[in-house]
Amino acid sequence: MNENNKQVILEAVNLTKKYDDGVLALDNLNFAIYENEIFAMLGGNGAGKTTTINIFLNLLEPTSGDAKVCGVSSHIEPLVVKKNLAYVSENVMLYPNFTALQNLDFFSQLGGQDSLTKDHYQEVLIRVGLAEQVHNNKLKGFSKGMRQKCGIAIAILKDTKAILFDEPTSGLDPKAGYEFIQLLNDLKGEGKAVLMSTHDIFRAKEAADTIAIMNDGKFLMKEKASTLFDKDLESLYMQYMAGHAPQPASEGV
Amino acid sequence: MLHTLIQKELKSITVSNKFLVTFMICSLLLIMSVLIGINEYKQAMTQYETVHQMADERIQQVSSWHSVSYREHRKPSPLMIFTSGLSYDIGRWSDINRESTVKLKNSIYSDDPIFAVFRIIDFTFIVQIIFSLLAILFTFNAVNGEKESGTLRLIFSNAVPRTKYILAKCIGTWLGLLIPILIPILLSVLIVMLFQIEFSSQEWIRLVLLIFISVLYTSIFIVFGVFMSTMSRSSNVSFLLSLVFWICFVLILPRGGVMASGNIVSVPRIAEVEGMKVSFAKNKWENYYKDMDKRLSGSEHNDDSEEDGISDDMMWANLKAEDSLRKEVTREIEGYEESLLEDWKNKQKAQQNLGFMLARFSPAATYQLAAMSLSNTDISLKSSYEQVMKDYREEFNSYIDKKSENAGPGAGSIMITMDSDKGMDLKMGRDEAIDVSDRPQFVHPKTQLSKILPDVIVNISILLFMIFGLLTGAYFSFMRFDLR
Repeated sequence: MNENNKQVILEAVNLTKKYDDGVLALDNLNFAIYENEIFAMLGGNGAGKTTTINIFLNLLEPTSGDAKVCGVSSHIEPLVVKKNLAYVSENVMLYPNFTALQNLDFFSQLGGQDSLTKDHYQEVLIRVGLAEQVHNNKLKGFSKGMRQKCGIAIAILKDTKAILFDEPTSGLDPKAGYEFIQLLNDLKGEGKAVLMSTHDIFRAKEAADTIAIMNDGKFLMKEKASTLFDKDLESLYMQYMAGHAPQPASEGV
Repeated sequence: MLHTLIQKELKSITVSNKFLVTFMICSLLLIMSVLIGINEYKQAMTQYETVHQMADERIQQVSSWHSVSYREHRKPSPLMIFTSGLSYDIGRWSDINRESTVKLKNSIYSDDPIFAVFRIIDFTFIVQIIFSLLAILFTFNAVNGEKESGTLRLIFSNAVPRTKYILAKCIGTWLGLLIPILIPILLSVLIVMLFQIEFSSQEWIRLVLLIFISVLYTSIFIVFGVFMSTMSRSSNVSFLLSLVFWICFVLILPRGGVMASGNIVSVPRIAEVEGMKVSFAKNKWENYYKDMDKRLSGSEHNDDSEEDGISDDMMWANLKAEDSLRKEVTREIEGYEESLLEDWKNKQKAQQNLGFMLARFSPAATYQLAAMSLSNTDISLKSSYEQVMKDYREEFNSYIDKKSENAGPGAGSIMITMDSDKGMDLKMGRDEAIDVSDRPQFVHPKTQLSKILPDVIVNISILLFMIFGLLTGAYFSFMRFDLR
């Protein structure tokens, strides 16, 4: 517990990942994400954003350090951790021969939600903005945005304390992007801790409580979004990426 | 969890187009093959009954015991509808008489060589080639395909143990493929019943066992496909790997095993054996005739010192002595032939055992051997029939001897009398047909299930071992599989 008596949901402690080929993907990364908080990681390709998410999902083992969810280490007790974690990938790919409802049913059951009914699924699909007439359509006819909505619906139905989003707004049209940010705020309002990796500076500034700029596996900057309110995040980002940091990254936000 | 994953696998297979295509291919091929098999069996049975009747009629018209000859036919097995095995390759009849040795002649393929070019598509062929290929097509991308489509990450963002996932993959795919395979199989059995093909209780058990090993064999390729899909990140690579292994294990290894055994254990060609037999016999007879010349010239020399004319007693004694010497030579030749044949058979058996042992590294060969053995159309079909026919020939010949002896001289035969006064006289036997109704009846060899069961159990164990080995391989490979 910290930061106004809020519970830490996601935590990276000296998180380091060095691949077999010698590439240092994560370099002693530290952060904590509390309930009701949206944490956005900004950075270019290969900055280490997806590696961080992969370690939380136990799709990768850290070289050293720890990634914790509700205090439980993801590589020591992955199955316990995954019960408290939902994940939405950049390009949500579900089963194309299943309908939206069938996909939701399968992934909800996999997420431990056995008692949910068709009404629950429909309710959530409508909430994420998927029209009722397509609920029984096969996914193979869905656009990227529609699949994204299904992915978010799956994450909502899992009802976990933390949600990880990997490039959630990439490829979405402005309307879908706006709807996504609304949804993100709703989830935050429900007490979820959200870790989001993105290239979209505008959306990050709009939705996140904390913004971190990442390069070469470490945070170049980590600031409360409120402190960046009057700053041009884009030029700040460009300065950091060019190695002309206005000031050193501040830790322990 | 396991149930959910299996259910998903099953559902995703049953709603896919490949399920429909597989079901249609399996149904079409199996039903067609069974209909063709039934037709072939019925034709073979009609032919068997006709020629058997003709042989019966022919023997009843014979008027001389010395010219009694019978032609015994191999009875087709109803299980040849499912596994034709060697039934088309092996001869269908053999003459049973004193003169010729037992040898099955005139196979179906010798009548219609066109079928020998491409062989007949039967149930075993469909399972061995088509089902195994379909199993690979179903499973080559079972795991890496999910990774490529992105669903694997989503699945493993949930609390899903890897063991349960890989187990569900195997079980789900197995069940998914079993439906389009088992339904046409059961339909085929139903067709056989509708056509009122007579199956004994043992044959029904054999058929059930045949279906069981067919399922086991297909399961090998299902697990193999899943294993391959965990070996590579790319489904293209796993498809190519699966295809290469399939070619090796289904097409090359069985033939390779037999060819290797042919080189390891050398068996002389039958022509070589025949040559040795002829040369030995020729040698023996030459020696005999040389000795006979010596004996005759010695006897002529002795005769000169005696009175004119040879006494009947002496002539009979000489003839008897010559006959006994001739018989001795014949016995020696026969003994040599037997030992030569025995040696050839032993070598052939050793080659066959080695060939089958090597071929059994291939699941296709193991399956085929088990299927043929269950359907009574295996390699032992020829030897077992010929053995029973040989025994029958002995029995038949001794029956003729006895009958001939009882009927007295001239009974139903040609009688030649030589008299120094009257000259030579030739009398034909009686014209009426001899009564052969009490002749020994041929009993077709029936391999008891209990006799072939140990061999079938060995084959089933090999198939189970392969499934277990591949399952273990798939498990350990998936434990190392990069889920990202």
